[in-house]
Amino acid sequence: MTRLQIIFTRLALFALVMGAWEALPRAGAVNPLLLPPLSGVVRMLGQLLGRAQVQEAIGVTAAEVIVAFIIAVPLGAAIGILAAENDYFGAIFRPMLFYVFSIPKSIFLPMFILVFGIGFGQKVAYAAFSTLFIVIMSAAAAVESVKADHVLVARSYGASPLQVLTRVYVPSMMPFLLEALRISMIFNFTGVMIAEMYASRTGIGHLIASWGENFQMPQLLAGVILLAAVAILFNETVRWLEGRCSTWRT
Amino acid sequence: MQRPSPATVRRLILVLVLALWEVVPLTGVLPELFLPALSKTLTVLVQNWAEYAHALAVTLYEVALSMAIACGGGILVGALVGGLALLRNLLLPVFSSLYAVPIVILYPIFTAWFGIGSESKIAFAGIYGFFPVMLSTAAGIGTIDQNLLLAARSMGASVPQQIARVVIPASIPTVLSGLRLGGALAIIGVVVAEMLTSSDGIGYLVTRYRTVLDSPRVFAAILMILVLSVVFDLIARWAERRTLAWQTAGRRERGAQIRARSLAAAPATA
Repeated sequence: MTRLQIIFTRLALFALVMGAWEALPRAGAVNPLLLPPLSGVVRMLGQLLGRAQVQEAIGVTAAEVIVAFIIAVPLGAAIGILAAENDYFGAIFRPMLFYVFSIPKSIFLPMFILVFGIGFGQKVAYAAFSTLFIVIMSAAAAVESVKADHVLVARSYGASPLQVLTRVYVPSMMPFLLEALRISMIFNFTGVMIAEMYASRTGIGHLIASWGENFQMPQLLAGVILLAAVAILFNETVRWLEGRCSTWRT
Repeated sequence: MQRPSPATVRRLILVLVLALWEVVPLTGVLPELFLPALSKTLTVLVQNWAEYAHALAVTLYEVALSMAIACGGGILVGALVGGLALLRNLLLPVFSSLYAVPIVILYPIFTAWFGIGSESKIAFAGIYGFFPVMLSTAAGIGTIDQNLLLAARSMGASVPQQIARVVIPASIPTVLSGLRLGGALAIIGVVVAEMLTSSDGIGYLVTRYRTVLDSPRVFAAILMILVLSVVFDLIARWAERRTLAWQTAGRRERGAQIRARSLAAAPATA
């Protein structure tokens, strides 16, 4: 299949799913109370975006996501680089990190609530905590992607440490760093969402959870579409950047 | 002085954490509300064993069913997507785009559709674990060394023989690492779902006792969940070690790469 055909087939599949979402509830094949037709959900999304309450919630969630990201990434990157550059430290902590990955971090939410309350600080602290581990792992992987041969060659030709950093480390690590940022942001976003859905007074996650509890399906589905669209858009933008940077890698 | 081996340091850290858990609350630095002592947590766990055992049974039942959905469905769809070039080109990029969506936002939809009983947890955790199993199975089958297949074909192997003798053994390591990840995610999915909206299970106990500020009972439930994920991780690692013999040296390296990739392709955990 050519590239154009693939894109066309994907669009057709997308249209098919969206068409079914519209047609099935209308035809009565699916209970419209459980799955309202797509057009109604999109109209509801337009209305919601005009409401002051929803706009405020979006602002709060965005601020939480950004602050948590700014805390988690430098901290995790520092630990990850330490783990990759220092063999002994790495040998101690690497297996622990892989294990921590399989623990449901949401079980620590009660402690975050006790310490920070259920406001802005608790969302930021929990999201940063749940993002930290993936940042550490990605940063360590990025450092390890730098080929020792390249560093050796640069040093033999008399490159200064600064030159080695800017000419060898940064270009080799660039695609990994972007991927690390992308994946960390997804974890971060998930962390904020869970914290907001669990106990909160504002934020999009809180709105979604309460729409679900009150069985307001059009509002709930509109919120899910909005969040999914934002997440996919961010992900695709960074992936596009990654594709452009990977030409630097040998 | 010789430095202690990393494994020793890890054990020391574990002992230190457990000791601090016991000592710090006793000294009164932290009030019991924030951190009840380990001994107190264990006492509460033993005294209320019937309640916790019942919750554990509910959670294990949900985990088992959602693992079956995640692993069964994941291997089936992954084999189809990885084995057929048409589906691979068409769908794999779509799945990796969808992975950016925090799956937890779908949970309110599941509770609205299936109620707050076990069904919504099983559906949610099944989907949570499905993607990594599917993606790593597709990667395992899609990246089989073509020379192996060529050799089998040249020697006159039929298609079923090629599948049974080449495709399945060659993709087992990748599939297993996907199962490990998918299983861990199924546990996480069930616990998260129980904490959010539920009427039973260990996650529900965490939330219920948190709202009445009964910290020892909250920590008893947290401890059980920690033990549950440690036990699962040990079983999965043991299974992976058992199948190491099937990997050739070249594959083992590739297996590590694929494992890193399938880890990156997992939905965000929390």
